[in-house]
Amino acid sequence: MPEIRVEGLVKEFGDQRALDDVSFSVEDGELFTLLGPSGCGKSTTLMSIAGFQTPEQGRIAVGEETFFDAARRLAVPAEQRNLGIVFQSYAVWPHMTVFDNLAFPLRVRKLKRDAIRTRVREVLELVEMAQYERRYPHQLSGGQQQRVALARALVYSPAVLLLDEPFSNLDAKLRERARAWVKELQHRLGLTTIFVTHDQDEALSMSDRVAVMSAGEVQQIGAPEDVYRRPANRFVAEFVGRVNLIEGVAAADGGVVVVDVTGSQHRLTVRGADGASGNVTVAVRPEAVTVLPAEDASANGTNTWEADVGTVAFLGDHYEYEVTIGSLALTVQSSRRVEGERVRVHIPPDACTVVG
Amino acid sequence: MSAATYERTFPRPRRSLVPAWALQWWTWLLVVALIVGPYIPLVYASLRDRPLYEAGGVFTLDPYRQLFGDSVFWHAWLNTLGFAALSTVLAVAGGAVVAILCSRADLAGRKLFSRLILLPILLPSLGMVLGWIVVWGPGGYLTSMFSDRLHAPTLAIDTIPGMALVEASRLLPIAFLTCQAALTRADSSLEDAARSAGARPLRVLGSVTIPMLRPAILNAATLIFTLSIAALGIPLLLGTSNNIVFVSSYLYNTWTSASAPDPGSVSAGAVMMLAAATALLLLRNRLLGAEARFVSVGGKSGRQALLRLRGWRWPLAAVLALYLVFTTLVPILGLALMSFVVVLTPLVAPWELLTSAHWNVLLDDPTFRSSIENSAVIAVVGAVATTAFVALATLVAHRSRFPLRKTLPFVMLYPRATPGIIIGIGFFWAYLLTGALGDFLRDSIWGIMVAFCVRNLPLAYIVMYPTLARIGEELDRAGRAAGAGWWRTCRTIVLPLLKPAIFASFILLFVEIINDYDPAVFLVRPGTEVMGATMLSQFIQGMVGPVSALAMVQVAITVVVLAIGAKVFRIGATGGEHGA
Repeated sequence: MPEIRVEGLVKEFGDQRALDDVSFSVEDGELFTLLGPSGCGKSTTLMSIAGFQTPEQGRIAVGEETFFDAARRLAVPAEQRNLGIVFQSYAVWPHMTVFDNLAFPLRVRKLKRDAIRTRVREVLELVEMAQYERRYPHQLSGGQQQRVALARALVYSPAVLLLDEPFSNLDAKLRERARAWVKELQHRLGLTTIFVTHDQDEALSMSDRVAVMSAGEVQQIGAPEDVYRRPANRFVAEFVGRVNLIEGVAAADGGVVVVDVTGSQHRLTVRGADGASGNVTVAVRPEAVTVLPAEDASANGTNTWEADVGTVAFLGDHYEYEVTIGSLALTVQSSRRVEGERVRVHIPPDACTVVG
Repeated sequence: MSAATYERTFPRPRRSLVPAWALQWWTWLLVVALIVGPYIPLVYASLRDRPLYEAGGVFTLDPYRQLFGDSVFWHAWLNTLGFAALSTVLAVAGGAVVAILCSRADLAGRKLFSRLILLPILLPSLGMVLGWIVVWGPGGYLTSMFSDRLHAPTLAIDTIPGMALVEASRLLPIAFLTCQAALTRADSSLEDAARSAGARPLRVLGSVTIPMLRPAILNAATLIFTLSIAALGIPLLLGTSNNIVFVSSYLYNTWTSASAPDPGSVSAGAVMMLAAATALLLLRNRLLGAEARFVSVGGKSGRQALLRLRGWRWPLAAVLALYLVFTTLVPILGLALMSFVVVLTPLVAPWELLTSAHWNVLLDDPTFRSSIENSAVIAVVGAVATTAFVALATLVAHRSRFPLRKTLPFVMLYPRATPGIIIGIGFFWAYLLTGALGDFLRDSIWGIMVAFCVRNLPLAYIVMYPTLARIGEELDRAGRAAGAGWWRTCRTIVLPLLKPAIFASFILLFVEIINDYDPAVFLVRPGTEVMGATMLSQFIQGMVGPVSALAMVQVAITVVVLAIGAKVFRIGATGGEHGA
């Protein structure tokens, strides 16, 4: 299966820039996610690849084939692109049975009756829906409709699979199962897939790589761990997971960078931020911070301070502390319950990222 | 299944023979040619010094000068505007009150009433005017009965207020539908909030409900005013005896005047009327959001009524029932009776005057017989063709990326604002100027059919668009992604889902086309008669009995077809079309 290359897409709606120089490429067999809040341009990007939107500038190619090239005024019509799409609403045709829904793309391709029958059965079995062949969509549950939509997108063995928020209409329990199932299928069949979502859990758990988008621009592309642990900027840090942002003035000090925290006497040591200087923002994930009892003398040294506990919330698998170190407020997650109004907190220098 | 068995090479879908853009361009061109086309020769004819069928001729403003110099014409405008204003006030006030009673009060039989109240707009308008004349006209059956037996005067319907009453009773359903739609859509928690704040129901009605209706009322008023200006049957049949001339009847009389027909100034008058109607349409578009024009009506049934009428439940229902009886049922009964008696008079019992002569005329007289046959053919073929064509145009307007698609909704709604006689005059000139094709259309019933279809085509769009808007766009995108071209996607996915609206549109168009008459009055010639035009001309010549029989045929066809439509697809609920 081929690689997808998207280069310099620009799309404007009126004077609003929906896409601003969007570029990325997706490897063969990879599950690539476009993640971002609504209106960030992720769906516009996907629909441009599918052929339902025409950008003003840029180029889109899948394998050897160029689908879109603004410079050459080339735009292959959607129906000639041979891509599989699962829409947010599933878009299972309500007036056709499950069988007819799957047979339609094959009929368009002028396959023989028998060949259609065999192939539809095969793919229905793949999505474990073989016994529902004669049902109409309204006789199926949301999860089943989604399987039919996926089967219909796969039945003609398209080069690329596009998923537009396919899980957002499922309830929480079902969604988790569906995610695991789709991921497994994608991996087993080696499908090159672009997946659009606004849900960071979904993006992190399923993707090989993630592109975080905001305001029509790609903010960062990387493996889920990179995006989470090493956010490229403030937007990514805040959008992907929860984060403490600490502002201060940075200066090099030996092998590390030391940040004078604004409005406080504390100096935060940051590792792996070579070259950072001047006014900076440092991102620290709440679960990266350690909480210890105030009297624990073993915790001493770099980035370890006494803090006042504001509130403690019990969230099942962890506790969440709102603490203040002087004027610096931090959110901290910990599986340990530490009693007392004063605690010690430790921020590992490795867990700090300069995000701007 | 593994990757190896999954992966398989299928042939790529082939491109369709007729590219989508070609189909879309042809559709657009045909829509524009049919709708805008007839107005061009109309304007042209109004600027020539002699009729277009005479050779030579130069550009001139004389027709306008002549028209503006005629005091009768200005008087006709005065009459028309007064009549239209009064009709509008009556219809809107009545429609709003009935809508409030049916959707915000616990009126007895409110569900039934909200259906029956729609009848006048669906019944043949010319036939209803004839019914009014037979029963309530000067010397009409009930008029004589009231004055001779009870010595009670009735409203003279051959005066401007009387004519306005007749017109208002026909157009009241439009105001009703628009207001009912607004009330259904309105967030009822606004009213609940006022009640929680301590307001009594009547106070809520006055301070919240009625102010909320203001946009709907304005919208209905503009449409009703536009339609009243175009009324032709009423001034011709009711105004003539008292010499009350409207613009439409002025144009009709000038055109048909045997002594001095003046097509130039008729065209100039038509252009003026067209300008007025267009201005009103533009005004209405400004008053309305683009989407709000299309509202489907469906009641919230479970909700408790705001206004408890208590002791008034039945008396008010009785008043409404009496209104329907006197304005709808009695005229129809009058027509039915008229068609079976020699003379209709309260002085002699009707059964002593029974005759089948009038009905025999329908079968024996070639004019009457061919009108029925022609109308039936025109209605069936026209409704099928228009429905199919509008379905295609609606798809181009809302489900394609055709560059000029945004112009289509406005163009398709335009004939709604155009008086029927203007469409008739426009097509008359258009056929005259288009050579062999025009000659063929002019000499056959198809020319009249085209005019009727164009006149009523907005209804098809108004019925189909809301249903189309509810069909998610992802459904056709899925078809395209699966490899089907634009037309194949439309044919196999969108159109099947649009089926209920397509059927509703066919039923409505059939009824409207079979009852239509005013575009035809300038187009009929011996052999191409249609029911409405025949009724008009024969009534003026005094053939009241056979015309009543013909009107009964129209009423019967209308009622049967609507009943079938309502049974099969619950068209009553899509009746919202007229309110749009």
